[in-house]
This record gives sequence, C-alpha cells and structure tokens, in this order.
Amino acid sequence: MGFSINDKRPLPPVGATKKNITCEFCIVGCGYTAYKWPKGTSGSNKTNALGVDFSKQQPALGVWASEQMVNSVTDRDGKEYNIMVIPDQDCVVNRGQNSARGGAMAATLYSKSTFTRDRLKDSQVFGGNNLNRTTWRDATDLTARVLKKIIDNDGPDQVAFKAFDHGGGGGGFENTWGTGKLFFTAIQTRSAAIHNRPAYNSEVHATREMGIGELNTSYYDTELSDTLFVIGANPYETQSNLFIMHWAQNLQGATIEAKKKEFDKGETADAAKIIFVDPRITASITNSIALAGEENVLHLRIKPGTDVTLMNALFSYIHEQGWEAKDFVKKHTQGFTKAANTNIISLNEASKVTGVSADDIKKAAAWISKPKKSGHRPRTAIFYEKGVIWGIKNYENIASIVNVAILTQSVGRVGTGVCRLGGHQEGYVRPPTPKGMPDRENLVVIDAEAAEGNYLAFFAWGCNPFVDSIMGERLSGAFKRRSEIVKKAMSRNIGADNETMADAIYRACKYDGGLFFIDIDIYPTFKTEVAHVSFPAATTMEMNLTSMNGERRVRLSEKIVDAPGAAKPDCLIAATIANALKFLYEKEGNSKMAKRFEGFDWKTEEDAFNDGFAGQGAKMDSQGGPTGALASYDLLRENGNNGVQNPIVKVSNGKLVGTRRLYTDNKFGTKSGKAMFKPTAQPPMPRQVANQMKKHEFWVTSGRLNEVWQSNYHTSRLPMPSTRWPLAPIQINPKDAKEKGIQSGDLVMLYNDYGSVRVVAYVTDSTRSGELFIAFGFPNSPASNIVTDFVDPDTKIPFYKGTAASMRKIGRIEDVANSMSFKSRI
Amino acid sequence: MNNKQSSRRGFLKATAGITAAAVAVPSLFASQNSKNENFYGYEDKTIGSFLKLKSAGEMDFNYPDADSPCKAVWVNGEIKAYSLLCTHKGCPIMYSASSKSFRCPCHFSEFDAELNGQMIIGQATENIPEILVKVKDGNIIAYGVNGLIYGRESNIKG
Ligand code: SF4
Ligand code: FES
Repeated sequence: MGFSINDKRPLPPVGATKKNITCEFCIVGCGYTAYKWPKGTSGSNKTNALGVDFSKQQPALGVWASEQMVNSVTDRDGKEYNIMVIPDQDCVVNRGQNSARGGAMAATLYSKSTFTRDRLKDSQVFGGNNLNRTTWRDATDLTARVLKKIIDNDGPDQVAFKAFDHGGGGGGFENTWGTGKLFFTAIQTRSAAIHNRPAYNSEVHATREMGIGELNTSYYDTELSDTLFVIGANPYETQSNLFIMHWAQNLQGATIEAKKKEFDKGETADAAKIIFVDPRITASITNSIALAGEENVLHLRIKPGTDVTLMNALFSYIHEQGWEAKDFVKKHTQGFTKAANTNIISLNEASKVTGVSADDIKKAAAWISKPKKSGHRPRTAIFYEKGVIWGIKNYENIASIVNVAILTQSVGRVGTGVCRLGGHQEGYVRPPTPKGMPDRENLVVIDAEAAEGNYLAFFAWGCNPFVDSIMGERLSGAFKRRSEIVKKAMSRNIGADNETMADAIYRACKYDGGLFFIDIDIYPTFKTEVAHVSFPAATTMEMNLTSMNGERRVRLSEKIVDAPGAAKPDCLIAATIANALKFLYEKEGNSKMAKRFEGFDWKTEEDAFNDGFAGQGAKMDSQGGPTGALASYDLLRENGNNGVQNPIVKVSNGKLVGTRRLYTDNKFGTKSGKAMFKPTAQPPMPRQVANQMKKHEFWVTSGRLNEVWQSNYHTSRLPMPSTRWPLAPIQINPKDAKEKGIQSGDLVMLYNDYGSVRVVAYVTDSTRSGELFIAFGFPNSPASNIVTDFVDPDTKIPFYKGTAASMRKIGRIEDVANSMSFKSRI
Repeated sequence: MNNKQSSRRGFLKATAGITAAAVAVPSLFASQNSKNENFYGYEDKTIGSFLKLKSAGEMDFNYPDADSPCKAVWVNGEIKAYSLLCTHKGCPIMYSASSKSFRCPCHFSEFDAELNGQMIIGQATENIPEILVKVKDGNIIAYGVNGLIYGRESNIKG
C-alpha cells in the first residue's frame, strides 16, 4: 500500500449509512449519495458499499471518490465517522456527474482537522471586546428583549431583516418558511430585503407580469431544442451540469433519436445551434464551439447595457420576415401592437447601438424563428441570468427577452422555454408580506436606508450584505459605525442582566444612532465583526432540507451528520426567537401580542415543512402552489434524488407525480390567461453610472468563477479553490494591460467615487479593451465596493454588472502571483 | 480550427476508449522497497532518458503501474510529470506543448503543467496528481505520486 498524505481514501463498508443529498450549491441541483461509517471500519477494495471493485482501475465516467469527496466528522455523541459524498449515477439531473463545486461537498463539512473548523458552534453575545460564546437561552432572551422594546415603542418596521429566499445550502422550504413566519406573521415588519439585493423583490417581475413563470421548462426539454439562446449567462461555469449533461449532448447531436420521438411527424431533427449574448468571450462559448463547431455557435458580442435594443431588433426582424408564431400570437397573447409601437427598430439603428452586425442579428433571428426544412417552427429554448437580471434596467431587460419568446412561441412546446438559468436553487414558501408592503415601484431600498441611519435592529440572516449589495464600501462603513455605538453601550454595562443590557442597547439605537445587529450564519465573516448577537446555523447534510431546482424538481436532501456544536436549522432558530418573544409577552399578560408569536412549536425541520410547504398550499406564497400540500417527507424520500417537478399533479401508487413543462395548454398567468407583450424602450445609462463613466476610464462588469461559490464561504476554505483564487481576479485585455504596464499576477487597484478594491490582474482576451471583468463575491476583494447605488426604479434591482473605475497597478504579492495559474480560461 | 475544436475529435476518441478501459485488467502489485521518506510504498521506476525528454519535450510512461498513464514534460527548465487521467471523471487528458497545459476532451477541464497541475478551469475537484521524479545517471526515475489518481481508492493497488 502506498502512503503519502493524499494517495489513499477509505471506502464505506457494505451496510454503511446511505442518504440522498441534493447538491447544496447551484440551481441545477444535482443528486448525490452520501455514505457514513464509523472510523476504524472500512470496506475493502473488492467489497464495499459502492459495489465497485477497486482492485481494478475504474473506467472513465465510472464511480469514483476524489479526495474532496471524503471527510471525517465527529457527531454530537463524540463518535467519529468517515463520510463520502459522490454524485448519483441514477439521478436524471446529473447522471453521476459532479462539478467542481458539488464534488467538494464532503470537504465542506465541519471537520476539526480542516479549515472548516471555524464554523460557528454556539450562540454568541458581544461582551468585553468581542463576541463571547453563550447558550441559546441567553442569546435569544437578550435578542427578544431588545426586539420587544422596538416593536412595542417604535413599531415592527424598525426591525429590518435581510435573509435568503432560496433553496440549497443556507435555504430551503423549511428555512424560508421559518424565517418568513417569524418576520411577516409574528414580528410583522415590512423592512425586508433579500440576501443578494437591497430590497424585498423578485428578480423577474417582468416575466411574471407577462404571464410566464420564470422556470417553465425541463432539462430534458433542453436536450430537444433546435436552438439554445443564452443571454447574460455563462452556464459552463455557473450551471455546469446542465451544460455538460444536457446541452452538450444536444450540441453534439447525441439526442437526435429522442427528438425524432418527441417531435411532430416528419419534423426536421438536427443537432442544436446555440446563440450567446455576452460582451465577453466565455468558456461556455469556446466549449460550445468545441462541441458543435464554429458554424453552429453565434456569439453576439454586444456593447454592455444594450440587450434591450438587441432583443427589440430580433423582435422587429422576426416580425418583418413573418417568422412569428402567428396563430399563437393571435389566440394566446395580447398587447402586440402597443409593444410594437415602442419596440420596432431598424437593423441599422440596432446595429449601431449594440455593436452587433446586422448580419449577425439576422442570423440569430433565423436560428430562433425561421421555419425548419420540414416547414415546422424551430424549437427554441431561451435562457437568461444575472447579465441581464443585474443589468442596466432589470424590468425592460427581461421583458424584452420574453417579448421574443412569446412572439416565437418559445414556451410550452416540447424543446422550448423562456427561463432564468438561476443561481441558487429555489425554495420559497412564506406568508404574504405584511399589509401595507408597497408595490415593486415603491419598495424601500433597505440597505441604503440602514446606511442612512434608519432602523433600530438589523438581521443579516444567511447572507453577507458587505459583499452582495450596492455601494459595498459605504454600506459596510455605515454598519460598522452604527454597530460601534451599540458596542460602546454594551461595554458600559458590564455584568448587567439581560433586561438592563437590552435597555442599554435599545437606548443606544433609539437615541444615539446605533443599530442592533444580529448575525445568523454558518461561518464568521466580516459582518460577524459588527454583530452584537450571533446565532450558529446548520446547513445541507446537517438537516433535512427540501429545495427546488431550475426545472422545478423538489427533492428531500437528507441529514447525515450533526451540525457543529449547538448549531440549528434556520427554521428552528426562527422558532427559538419567536418563542422567546412569546414568553415575554405572556409574562406581561399581553395575550394579543403573545398570540402573534404562536405556531412555532416545531421540534424538527420536518415540522416546519409540514407547517409551510405541505401545510399551507395556496394560502401562502409558495412555489409548491396548492398541490404542495400533497407532499410529505416520506413521499419525497420515496422519490429519491429524482424527486418531483412542481406543480405536483397527484400521488400515484405511493409516488408523487409532477409536471415536466409549464404552459402546455397556452394558459398564462395573467387575468385574461393570455401572455402579455410589453413595450421595452432602450433604457438610458443611469445617471450614477454615467457620472462614473465620465470620470473613470474603464467599464467594469462582474460575474462568477466556476470554482468559487457565492460569497466564497465554503470554497475559500477548500484547498483547491483557495489556492486557485486567493483574491478576486480582474480580467484585463492585453492591450489595456500593456498600456498600464500591468502583467498577470500584479496587484491592481480599482477605484471610483464609491470605493476601491484590490484585485489580481489576469490578462486575457476574454474581455475587450476598455472593459474589465471582476469576479464577484470575494469578501477579501469585494467587487461591490465600486458598485453604484443605482437600482431599477421599477423593481429596485441593482445594476451590479455595470460601473466604471480607474485602474492603477499597486505592485505584486509574490505569494499570490505564484500560487495562481494565469493561463487562458477560454 | 481552435484548440478546443480539435479536442472535439478527441472527445469522440475518448468516448470510444471508455469501453476499452472498462475491462482494464488489474496490474500486478508493485513491490514495496522504496526508500523515499514521504512516499512510502512506491517503487522507483526508470521512465526514460533525461536528454531524450529534454529534446522531445514530453514523454509518456506508466506509474505506479501499467494502468496509470502518465506524462513527463520539460517546462521552464525542469521536469514535471503528471497522471494523464482527468481528476474529474477519468478521461485521458491531452497535452498542449504550446500552452504547456493539459486539456480534457470530455468536459473541458484544463490543468497547468507549469504549476503542479493546477486546474486552470474545469469541473474537477482536484488538481492533476503530480508524479514525483528525480534524475539519476541520466535517467528519469519516478518515485511517488502526490494526489489520488482517478479511478482508485489507493494509488498503489493491493
Ligand atoms: S452543477 Fe450545480 S448542482 Fe450540480 S454539482 Fe455542480 S454546483 Fe452542484
Ligand atoms: S473527465 Fe475530464 S473534464 Fe470531465
């Protein structure tokens, strides 16, 4: 047997505990299998729980556990176990495939011997100069006392919260329900914001108002599309297994047989073509060329912020050619003429605005809508994500895409759809927002208000506003200032009981401009440093958790290990806080208020699921809809990693049966049941951004790296991504780099009127001269520092993707420069 | 044709090769007489002449046994050697002398031959295992593996 530090892994013995896990990371929601067995026991290379004979070299695409797929953990009973988490061959989503992120799930588990050891384990309260570990009872009691004073004296809106609304790790139906019920039903605050944006809003208001829910197709349908049309997204890096396991097959022509089965009689069935709209060259584009050939890939390399004009041009040209779905438009849509009055634009004009040639616009229009050889309409699936969602103007950006979709009937039919690609999985079930919550146009931008000095308490729940919000540097500065006021008051009350301390905190907030900051998370972050109370949360694999992927597939991801220390699922943290408030109101005999905090007597996350997703049906805002009530943990367990696609239709022979694709009946979600066209004029550059462009030389956009997940909380603690990306890289075109005397590996500062950030230069042809691309979400080099405070006035969604900055070379940190590869990623 | 397009052909080849690999026979157990301090159990194996690698730029060999294809490359005036089985799902990676990197035709992971096999981009969770080599009497000798080779629970089977 060989032995170095990393050349051998234990194998689960036959009979090891085995659970279904849904990947905790991206929207694709790949299926995994987790094994757990006591340390000291092991399967042999011939006989093991995987049923694989490891005395033989395994074939490519076989079953294998990489180093990151194995870990050792200690449960609360003190017993040590080995854990293996590998992709599930039988899951229809990923068919045994992992991505760079999901494949490292085992390594993300809390382990005393890895960098995950700093997980938050106990509640903490500020005292002395830092947070002190304490009991749940102590920390919730103090929190409840402060909250009660605020609710009673100043009203619930003075309690602001910013929380996840998604599925996967740090989310899920149990936890969105628990937190939603606490804030909307019990506390009844309207001061709410979502984890990655400064207000409480949908990222896709436009499509919903046009009658089309944003997740309306299935991954299988994308194997059947004639054309894939991708706007503002980089799926190889951010929805990896959708691209690799579904689109790649279609682009290579491996799904033609399936197409023949699903298509109409005599209908042409070829390999798919793919169109990308992106100012950058991405790995998705170059890999598509490798798969489909240059002639089947079209890259519309637009000028930033001109997506609406490009969509309007496609709309116009398709209409001019008579390629629209005439019958469908007539019977199942409304508002065409009104939209056309605004949207029609000549190819020349559009070409000037977007920088895309008229020929390429024509070609795209033909691929999307020109009848096929057989005379049938092409089946086009349209996908968009943050490049437009977080673009120049959220509402029009999306509406203009959906206009093209309904003009061409790219929805409801086999092989079609018009969907967001998604970031996290979904997992929304919450009570309706409290009465008086403004419409989308009048929503309050919570983060900006907090920075201005509003609110007395602020919950940052499973999110990091210092990294994922507008004007990051100003925001974190304001939080620090306001936190310090409360900390000083707490320090003046050494040894005080919770009532006295709560009073001191309340006064510091009410009269001195302080902000009582409650942090709920799994790791300490920069935001924990401003917290006065911190609660430790559990995450995937540490709790049972249900979520929904980008094709509405709901799975039960099972618990297999104990959460570290005293950490709890978020829904049970919410319940603990609610129950503490109920206790205080009961004690003072205020039964009316005590009643508001009832309904949290949950012992487990399953209780929260049964109360929320399965208990409420249509009564609440639930992605499960009315038939969500048919679901239960037992039934979901039965359906395993393949789960069921919302909406659930029925239970048949003990199995949940769902819905592959939406709108097959052409009945849309508007009053009239018709899909609605919208006028979409090209939005002007927002004033704030235009000002920065005048003063600063470079356009700066941002996005994700394959290996780094969200705010890098897990991935910065894993060996591979943390060495690969010690700081956020900035992609610079070789010409600009040369002019500025910058080489790959140099430390560079970007700055504008909003803030500055230090990043590592990565010289590449991916970006054009004059345009920079910075990786988003790195807490140690946050792109949000230089983002302006602009939000779409109609939806309050920020323009994270567009700002301007100056760039200056700082020098070189050899350690950083030497640890990273700077070779081309395209 | 860009590099990635040429690797498309490789994809088809690689996929064809998978069936063959599926019946790979277990190789014989390597003997355990390595003197190396950190890499127990590996056998020293001569993989070829140093001068030959220097002039050819690359050299194929198997280590630690016949089922584990590897490649030594001459980069920046040093010998680097790597497993050729992609740490994502085990497809054979291909070396590009011009970029001094390896590409996987299956799902396009790329690894830097100049930087310990670091993944440049891709879907693997690990860098490519590095084969430790030394030069003795004009010959290159492999003496250990840093990282778990795809498709194994232990680099040295037994
Ligand atoms: S593609 Fe997404 S869901 Fe699938 S393994 Fe990767 S991160 Fe997880
Ligand atoms: S097997 Fe190499 S990238 Fe998947």
